[in-house]
Amino acid sequence: MQVKMGIFLCDCGGSLKNIDFPRIGGNLENLEDVAFVDISHNLCLGEGKKAMTSRILTENINRVVIAACSPEFCEGDFAVLLEKLRLNPNLLSLANIREQCSWAHEGDVSAKALALVMMAVDRARLLEPVETKEVAVKNEVLVVGGGFCGMKVSLELSQLGIRTTLMERESTLGGQIRELEGFYGPQREAMIKAVEKAETIEIITSAEVTGVEGKIGDFTVRIKKGKKKILRTFGAIVFATGYKTEVAAGDFPIKPGVNIISQQRLAQLLQAPTPEAKPETIGFIFDLFDENSRFPTLATLNGALAVKQRWGSEVYVFCKNVKVDSEGVEKLYREAREQGVVFFKFDEKPTISADDDRVKIEAKDVLLGEDVTLTCNLVVAEEKFLPSEGTEGLSSLLKIKTDSRGFYQEENVNIYPVSSERKGIFFIGNCRGDLGLGRVLTDIFSVVSRIRELLSPGVVEEVDRVKVDSQKCVACLTCIRVCPHSAAQLVQIDSEKVAADISQLACDRCGICAAVCPAKAIKFEGYSDEQILAQIEAIGAL
Amino acid sequence: MKTNKSIVVIGGGIAGITSALELANGGSTVYLIEREAQIGGQAASFCCKATEVCSKCSVCLLPQRLSEVASHPQISILTNSTVTGVSGGLGNFQVEVEQKPQYISPQNCIACGMCVEVCPTTPKAIRPPSPEAVPYSYSIDESQCLRLKGERCNHCREVCPTDAIAFEHKLERQQLNAGAIIVATGFDVFNAREVGCLNYGRYPNVLTGLDLERIFRNQGSLKFSSNGKKPKKVAFIQCVGSRDENHGYCSQVCCKYAIRLARLIIYQNPDTEVTIFYIDLQTAGKGFAEFYKECQESIRFIRGVPIEILEAPSDRVEVRFENISEGRVERENFDLVTLSVGIAPREDSWELAKVLGMNLGDDGFFDTKEPFNSVETNVEGIFLAGACQGPKDIPDSIAHGISAAERAMEVLQRCK
Repeated sequence: MQVKMGIFLCDCGGSLKNIDFPRIGGNLENLEDVAFVDISHNLCLGEGKKAMTSRILTENINRVVIAACSPEFCEGDFAVLLEKLRLNPNLLSLANIREQCSWAHEGDVSAKALALVMMAVDRARLLEPVETKEVAVKNEVLVVGGGFCGMKVSLELSQLGIRTTLMERESTLGGQIRELEGFYGPQREAMIKAVEKAETIEIITSAEVTGVEGKIGDFTVRIKKGKKKILRTFGAIVFATGYKTEVAAGDFPIKPGVNIISQQRLAQLLQAPTPEAKPETIGFIFDLFDENSRFPTLATLNGALAVKQRWGSEVYVFCKNVKVDSEGVEKLYREAREQGVVFFKFDEKPTISADDDRVKIEAKDVLLGEDVTLTCNLVVAEEKFLPSEGTEGLSSLLKIKTDSRGFYQEENVNIYPVSSERKGIFFIGNCRGDLGLGRVLTDIFSVVSRIRELLSPGVVEEVDRVKVDSQKCVACLTCIRVCPHSAAQLVQIDSEKVAADISQLACDRCGICAAVCPAKAIKFEGYSDEQILAQIEAIGAL
Repeated sequence: MKTNKSIVVIGGGIAGITSALELANGGSTVYLIEREAQIGGQAASFCCKATEVCSKCSVCLLPQRLSEVASHPQISILTNSTVTGVSGGLGNFQVEVEQKPQYISPQNCIACGMCVEVCPTTPKAIRPPSPEAVPYSYSIDESQCLRLKGERCNHCREVCPTDAIAFEHKLERQQLNAGAIIVATGFDVFNAREVGCLNYGRYPNVLTGLDLERIFRNQGSLKFSSNGKKPKKVAFIQCVGSRDENHGYCSQVCCKYAIRLARLIIYQNPDTEVTIFYIDLQTAGKGFAEFYKECQESIRFIRGVPIEILEAPSDRVEVRFENISEGRVERENFDLVTLSVGIAPREDSWELAKVLGMNLGDDGFFDTKEPFNSVETNVEGIFLAGACQGPKDIPDSIAHGISAAERAMEVLQRCK
């Protein structure tokens, strides 16, 4: 198609006085492919847009160049305008002659303004339409992990009428919910019953994920249940695979056993009927192995308070920093102190040794500035907060990175807390780090929102921006290796040739593949080598 | 009565913006009500704390969201506006909104700046927006403008190419109908003057964390405005306005911002000595452990919060703190002391609580219906997002904003 370009220059209400608009307009008018040059005072307002619309329609142009303020302010608006006129928004090329030109310099800047517009013109010539189309999504979700998080998400989704398959590795649902029960009240049995009763939730227990293929809206998941292999498709997948805690035998100089117990064991003891011999002195200790976790603080405060109430023991806590940066934890810390729990803070690790059938803790308390020696009947040891069994395997299967502690990494820890680098695959709760119940609940609602947004329209938009020239592709697999979104794959072109293909649905348009392709077979439309070079050459030509 | 599916979001900070976007992308019509002339809230005045690498302070998450909100067809932004009354209930709220006169219409202003050039007052009565402001339009300061003070000046109006200036604008009241309300009114930064012995406001080299954020944001580096000198010895004092007799909570943000700022100061000026005085360091959070470990080499951490700050010779201040291991009070001089001020409930929270019929919790933040359900309130159909419910950092506020939007949509969907 013959390129026919319209150029709109905007003088921002006449305020860009250091640009000679008629002069640069004259220079541009005679360029090849340019149908007209219009000078406007306010392209961004109703009046300006109206004039622009009628010009585009009457002249029947197929490329639009706009020189105005920062694209930050105007690009979205103009793209919408083009779309209304049935012109592909990718056929728009912008030059910022306000912030990056007129405002940035003193004195006449007409030459620079002209250069900027010329760059946009030469780029516009090479632009091609970027088509979007809608692809149907499967209105069904797979939730992996039948603990508190997984069950809660399934229940929330069933409220929205979204069909859910809840998969659990163990033979029963529930996960580590027992630990929550004593302190926070979610009732394990009631929750399991509700999940079982919900018509839209299908439960598969004793099963594991062995493969995930496909892309957002249409994932094919291989599930292994005993010897049986199941193949199912889902629109989205939520991983809620939880965490594990552990007191490693080698962590303490003396073997954990009767008098050094885990926090989990304490919770069990507290749920059992009161023992005959209540431990007189109990020591809690944390920050020995992992100083940067909130979990030990919370477990210790809850445990210490429960012990005080149930057994009336003397309770001492040894730690470095109490992690109070979650809702309500400072209050819990205060309550513990009011109830008579004594806190010692150390900088150097205390020594722990056996003393007959008791345990001796020796520490230097930095607040008292004195050495403290305490002989306890029972020591409740810090548990390491670790990713659950199989996290590593699953992460390599899914090609999702883990963080330095082995937990699933979010796409961007900050922007979309529950999303991952692969669109349509989500991670929630403690499988992505040590969150605590408040933040876990926030995660649950966040993922439900994401899934609703994704599945309720019934379709997702596919933007055809990154293209592989299969003739140039030498199937070196570089793109497949570097793509963080698992969007690149090999496809059979004909009986002889295989080439890379970019799935536009999975693609996040980061451009890495196009940049690294050694054969230059991948084109990122709008920022292709030719388009960028044309802009650079445009300055050179002046 | 038919359920109204539009939703009012009160507060245009990071949490409110996130909620609004989430709702609008989910198909709802959203009214975003902001008291100030621009949306963005507190985070808009914070600085990027990157050194040679990103320190993940999340401040940069705001601008992109701001422009997304500004151009979203389903979000109407009402700036300079406050909620003065609410009636009705879930599915059918009537929200009374009062909008201060906007002498410059954000719809028409193209930010060309010609009005400022002709404004005859000093300082100018017309002010430009900050670089990332949304809406990006100029505003008139009533106390400076000659015309608004009754004189006959009309210069700006004569030059304005888009007729954006309208002096006849009056206070406007309107009623919005909505099915649900999300409250995202944010927080107040703790007023450090309340702690008299730290002498904030009295000595120029005692600043708050917020002051430092603004200095870095506006100047790019840390130096005294009076003599252009860079401080050589800097202290941070943690938990100012957190974890004390009046504040039974941890503000959750101060340890992290202090460590990030300290690292930034050292990065820009490697021979600066930085000391952080603390009670308990809060170093949990994704990736923060490694960051903290790196900082331990360059920053001196001292356990215990200083007792008072006094004047010292040659423009310095003396910090008195307890040396615990020696059991005595130490005195040390610093060029600059930064008070790591915490997050406090907004002073006017109770007014809004009264208007909306919500409860306030012990600490003065809005109360939730039940513990651990941090978005639903005692009023059905009114939800909380962000730090108005309790201290939150930017990522937590974003997550909370999404969460509140989800609850609101879910509840509205269920109501017939």
